[in-house]
Amino acid sequence: MSGDIKKLTAAELRPLSRRGLLRNGAALGASLAGGSLVGGAMFPRAAYATSTVNVECDAGQNQNPFRWQADAIKQKFGIELNHIGLPFVGQYEKLVSELTARSSAYDLLVFPPYFLGDFVALGFLRDLDQYKSLVDPQLDDYLPVYRDPVIKRNGKLYALMYDGDNLQVIYRTDLFNDPTEQKNFKAKYGWDLAPPKTWDQFMQIAEFFTRPPNLYGTAFYAQRGFCYAWFINIFAGMGGRWFSDDMKPGINSEAGVKALEMLVRQKQYSPPNILQIGYPELNDAFLNGSTAMVVQWNDLPLKVGDPKMSKVVGKGGVAPIPVRTYMPYSRVMAVSAFSKNPEDAYRVAAYMQLPEVTITYVYDSNCGQDPYRVSSLKWEAATKNHEGGPALDPDLAKAYVETIKDGLKDGYPELSIPGAPRYLDILDLYVSQALAGTLPAKAALDAAANEWNSITQAEDPDSQRAAYAAWVKSFKDVGVAY
Amino acid sequence: MLSPALHPRRRARDGARRLGWWMMAPTLAVLAANSIFPLLYAVTVSFKNYQILIPVPHRWVGFANYGKIFSDHLFWSSLGVTMWFVAGVVFLQFPLGMGLALLLHRLRRFQDVLVTLLLIPTIVSSAVAGFQWVQLFNYAFGPINYLLGLLHLGRPTWTADPALALPALIFVDLWQWTPFMTLLLFAGLRSLPGSVVEAARMDGSTVWQIVWRIYLPLLRPIIGIALILRVLMTFKLFDIIYVLTAGGPGTVTENLAFFTYVQGFRYFNLGYASALAILQLIVVSILAKALIQLTKRSGIGGREAAA
Repeated sequence: MSGDIKKLTAAELRPLSRRGLLRNGAALGASLAGGSLVGGAMFPRAAYATSTVNVECDAGQNQNPFRWQADAIKQKFGIELNHIGLPFVGQYEKLVSELTARSSAYDLLVFPPYFLGDFVALGFLRDLDQYKSLVDPQLDDYLPVYRDPVIKRNGKLYALMYDGDNLQVIYRTDLFNDPTEQKNFKAKYGWDLAPPKTWDQFMQIAEFFTRPPNLYGTAFYAQRGFCYAWFINIFAGMGGRWFSDDMKPGINSEAGVKALEMLVRQKQYSPPNILQIGYPELNDAFLNGSTAMVVQWNDLPLKVGDPKMSKVVGKGGVAPIPVRTYMPYSRVMAVSAFSKNPEDAYRVAAYMQLPEVTITYVYDSNCGQDPYRVSSLKWEAATKNHEGGPALDPDLAKAYVETIKDGLKDGYPELSIPGAPRYLDILDLYVSQALAGTLPAKAALDAAANEWNSITQAEDPDSQRAAYAAWVKSFKDVGVAY
Repeated sequence: MLSPALHPRRRARDGARRLGWWMMAPTLAVLAANSIFPLLYAVTVSFKNYQILIPVPHRWVGFANYGKIFSDHLFWSSLGVTMWFVAGVVFLQFPLGMGLALLLHRLRRFQDVLVTLLLIPTIVSSAVAGFQWVQLFNYAFGPINYLLGLLHLGRPTWTADPALALPALIFVDLWQWTPFMTLLLFAGLRSLPGSVVEAARMDGSTVWQIVWRIYLPLLRPIIGIALILRVLMTFKLFDIIYVLTAGGPGTVTENLAFFTYVQGFRYFNLGYASALAILQLIVVSILAKALIQLTKRSGIGGREAAA
């Protein structure tokens, strides 16, 4: 893989310091003394890494691209990577605790962009504009929705993309293309069975395929943590807005109540353990063949074609979210303000998101990273994973890339202003209460809206209004309607 | 006025007292640094608008954080969950533990082996125990649902069902901590004088009379300690809830400890979280005091009854 990566210019390479020269000289001397030179092959540059960059990332598959590129980074920059995995749920708490204490334990931080508003306001991150001359991040190649609105604040560059998330509809082509199913569906609902274009169609399809205990119409992320995203996904399509211009919460609007009631109704078309379903369980619900259609993050289609994970190889189809695609989560890379090695941390971040590096991992089923560059949107690349095994078949690969292009033209952005983690967690809490049946949809959203007002008041309404307006403008500036 | 002859003795006594203070000083300093200072600091923070995530100056807010607690419906629901949990666990755990302790006490062989086996759940880390029960309660692949399926009793969703999640947590706590209760009571039973029970038997007392009129009154101090320990432990339970349900579904299993954690470490609202912690300290102290009083003059019987 590293052979495909273009050589960096001398300016991009880390300059060798006097101390580094002495250290390398000593290493060379030691190697010579030990007789470790064989033929003309000098020891690899990897043998004398001159610095270590501590890379914080949520533990598991999302660390894999860093692991895959570790040798290449060591060779090109003389930088050793130290991988530090934090739990996916609880990452925010852990980072805030450590960064508040000005810990230098992490040099490079990987986190979702909705942390960015808080982290910039609290001075946790370095402005990356000062390092751009070290490695050109080639930002013009970013998809517009992932450019300025996601990685910049107040006109300054604070992060680089690592993962471009959005939700998609993933459905069973064997069921959708079955003539008997098509005939029965048309007889019952009066329209041709096809991937849904509206939420009402989505509900009808879900109802049609609900045949317990072996097949359910749909499933969704209903566990506490990110169930809010499946609500916002419907809410966005119904014209909902996070806030009005004067910072009144939009979640308890008519669109919000309708969207949450619809999500609650989806429970009846879902497996009985729906409230236990989070990210891996939702993948399993589709990959083990027990659901006809799910809304999931866009790395699920990449797993459909992998026989190690999937019982529905060759039976997966992908379509955009009805009406409007929500873009929850994603991951960015940022340099800690307390890093003692910020330049090298930037080098690693910039390298990891270069077009030729990005394309090696954004279609790989062994990690959770997804495309965020225009140059990555090549369906051919989506037919191979890191180990060269099958990822997507050509038809699915084409549909997958087209779905990303279509969905992200006007992707609905995840809230990313100061306080966003608290706004979203409160919303998640009340959506989970509605899903658990302990509060009706309207009461749950009213309670969430009340708490949102408290957060806005605590943060300072004027500064929040200004931050929200600037954030909305950044999307409008790249052509996203909001 | 003291006579001159007493002066050297007084000087010696004062010197010994000073030496005593000097010798205690390191311990007192450690105690102050470890316990008293953090507690006082928490009390101080509870009167401030201390909020890490909002870069504004911290200022005194008086009792505002305490006032907010009483108007926060999430506090009341978490207090309700806590009370149900404590009551459910302690009321079930005491008779179960007592029953097991009496059974062990009657055994003539294998007592030590059984005590060792019984203690296994207690010595397993709560995080590990939590993960075990996540698997055991799994809807699709869990052995509990598999067995229920074989008996055609349906497959509950346990921790995802709002009606079952709290009972499931109580069940896990019973599994983990009933052996602890058993061990305490069993140790108490072994320490009782055999002659008293022997005399009661010779007088024709039934087993129930022996338990009610002899064992329980004599075990009163041990029972008191066991109940106080378990009430305190369940009141502040966090780890099993974090692993097994994370307070969900909704807030059905979010107890006070978890609610405080969310306020302190998810929202970093340290002023409010400190006020919650101080309030819990007060509630737990009152509960402990009430329990001590209750066991002193409980209907279990007095020392006189046993004599």
